[in-house]
Amino acid sequence: MASSKDGLTYRQKMLQANKEAKATVVSLVLCIAVWAAAGFGLSGLDVKVFGTPVWIIGGTVGTWLFAVAVAVFLAKRVFADFDLDDDEEEGADRD
Amino acid sequence: MTNAIGLAGLVPVLVFLLAALGLALMVRRKSRAASTGGFVKEYFIGDRALGGFVLAMTTIATYGSVSSFVGGPGQAWNIGFGWVYMATVQVVTLFLLYGIMGKKMALVSRKLGSVTVIDVIRERYQSNALAVAAAFILVLFFAATMVAQFVGGAKLFEAVTGYSYVTGLFLFGAAVIIFTAVGGFRGVAVTDALCGIAMLVGIAVLAGGIFSAGGGYENVMNTIQANRPELLEPFAGGAMPLTLYFTQWLLVGVLTFCLPQSVVRCMGYKDTKSLHKAMIWGTVIIGAMMIGITALGTLSAGVLTDDLAAYGGSVDNIIPIAIAQTLPPWLAGIAIVGPIAASISTVSSLLIASSSAIVKDLWLHRAEEKGVEVKDAHVSRFSQIATFGIGVIVFVLAVTPPDVIWKINMFAFGGLETAFCWVFVGALFWKRANKTGAIASMVGGTLTYCLTMAIGFKLFGLHQIVIGITVALVLMVVGSYLGKPGDKKMLQVFFPEK
Repeated sequence: MASSKDGLTYRQKMLQANKEAKATVVSLVLCIAVWAAAGFGLSGLDVKVFGTPVWIIGGTVGTWLFAVAVAVFLAKRVFADFDLDDDEEEGADRD
Repeated sequence: MTNAIGLAGLVPVLVFLLAALGLALMVRRKSRAASTGGFVKEYFIGDRALGGFVLAMTTIATYGSVSSFVGGPGQAWNIGFGWVYMATVQVVTLFLLYGIMGKKMALVSRKLGSVTVIDVIRERYQSNALAVAAAFILVLFFAATMVAQFVGGAKLFEAVTGYSYVTGLFLFGAAVIIFTAVGGFRGVAVTDALCGIAMLVGIAVLAGGIFSAGGGYENVMNTIQANRPELLEPFAGGAMPLTLYFTQWLLVGVLTFCLPQSVVRCMGYKDTKSLHKAMIWGTVIIGAMMIGITALGTLSAGVLTDDLAAYGGSVDNIIPIAIAQTLPPWLAGIAIVGPIAASISTVSSLLIASSSAIVKDLWLHRAEEKGVEVKDAHVSRFSQIATFGIGVIVFVLAVTPPDVIWKINMFAFGGLETAFCWVFVGALFWKRANKTGAIASMVGGTLTYCLTMAIGFKLFGLHQIVIGITVALVLMVVGSYLGKPGDKKMLQVFFPEK
């Protein structure tokens, strides 16, 4: 009842932020794995595109595209929208 | 430099600097009219009104410096695509910052009414000593970085246009100091957006120059393959060891989320939608920028095919020469706006943050403690004088720069990360973290880092950031378990969940 207009209390927003931070750390680990696999992992292949060894494409542009996909996923699926201003009174956050 | 382009190089820079000044003045007039939260909140955090695009651009432009535009690509010319592969790690920085710090800093700073990161740290740990130490470390490392940015920008200006170093320094030094002092945080953020665009334009123009001079992308690649095939290997024939990849992941990848100049941006945006938008667009733009400019460094090896000695013996000359040689003068003039924008957008953000540390965290806090009330008009005048003053000091230092200036940027990055990483992480995510741990971590970690840097001591051949960040972590944990737990009421703000 002491919540702001979107229905979340300060406490719930902080918990949501924790969840988002955890998802972010998992995303970082995935990005590191993709970076290593698409770069070092492909460096043994003797394949070239426009004179460019495929590990260069995978390790740079590939990693970048993956990071963009991760950012889109986080922003659209994991992160929640709520009011950052907090109108509730001290001690009123119970639920 | 033989290929100096003279006036054609000067005009675009002048137009750009005037545009930035005009924009800052306009923003100031508008925000004065609309401001609701008093001078300090407006000047140092822009009334927390940044939208998604400006938030993304100001974070990237602050982070992307003249080193990313000159020193890094120069190394990439020398070492090859391994350097580009390494620069790619920076694509994670935006979602890391916003995902880890973004929401919590926004919520907590609104709840506490904080306008600086040091405000938040002081409240969380209930320690003035920690706040003073943080302000001192921040201003010191920021000042060093600002000097390096000025020097880098002015050297590039001299090399490409043929006008003197001091002329360049005076031109954009004066512009950045004035628009920062006048425009405050909001002015800095908006001009950062302009700088970010100029950086992208500069990259695109230089790409056009290199590809047309080298006969197209594929030809450029074939030339590199024929002349220096080791540039196409990830370890660059031993020049790019795995240890370097590892420490760069720490320095410019993982640990950047706790750089105070980035974290403060998490206190200045408008709403969660802006943050989410900035996360997506920021990741797109930082990838284009960092991969783009670093790759151009390597690709210029398809055009600049001589030994390093032919280019003045320094990799820092590669980008200026590539600009001057591959582009007609008027386009070269547009291309150099990119690195100059990178330089001034970093300086402006560090300048306003240094000023906030001195005015808000030291002076106003002391006045408050003593019960002295300071009028808004006084704060306003003093804040602008302080910003201007710090700018002038940095400017004077840059006129006769110390030799090691290029190394200072990375050194300062590592120092700030060591000082602030565990203090921020503890503040937001570890309830047990307390004053004792935070002071030990910040002071002990930073001293260890600077000392090992000074004597050149390394473990396993790794950059000293590894030692600094480890010592800082150990001290944070040990100190927090030895010291008394933090203030219960304050912990409720940071950890309402328990």
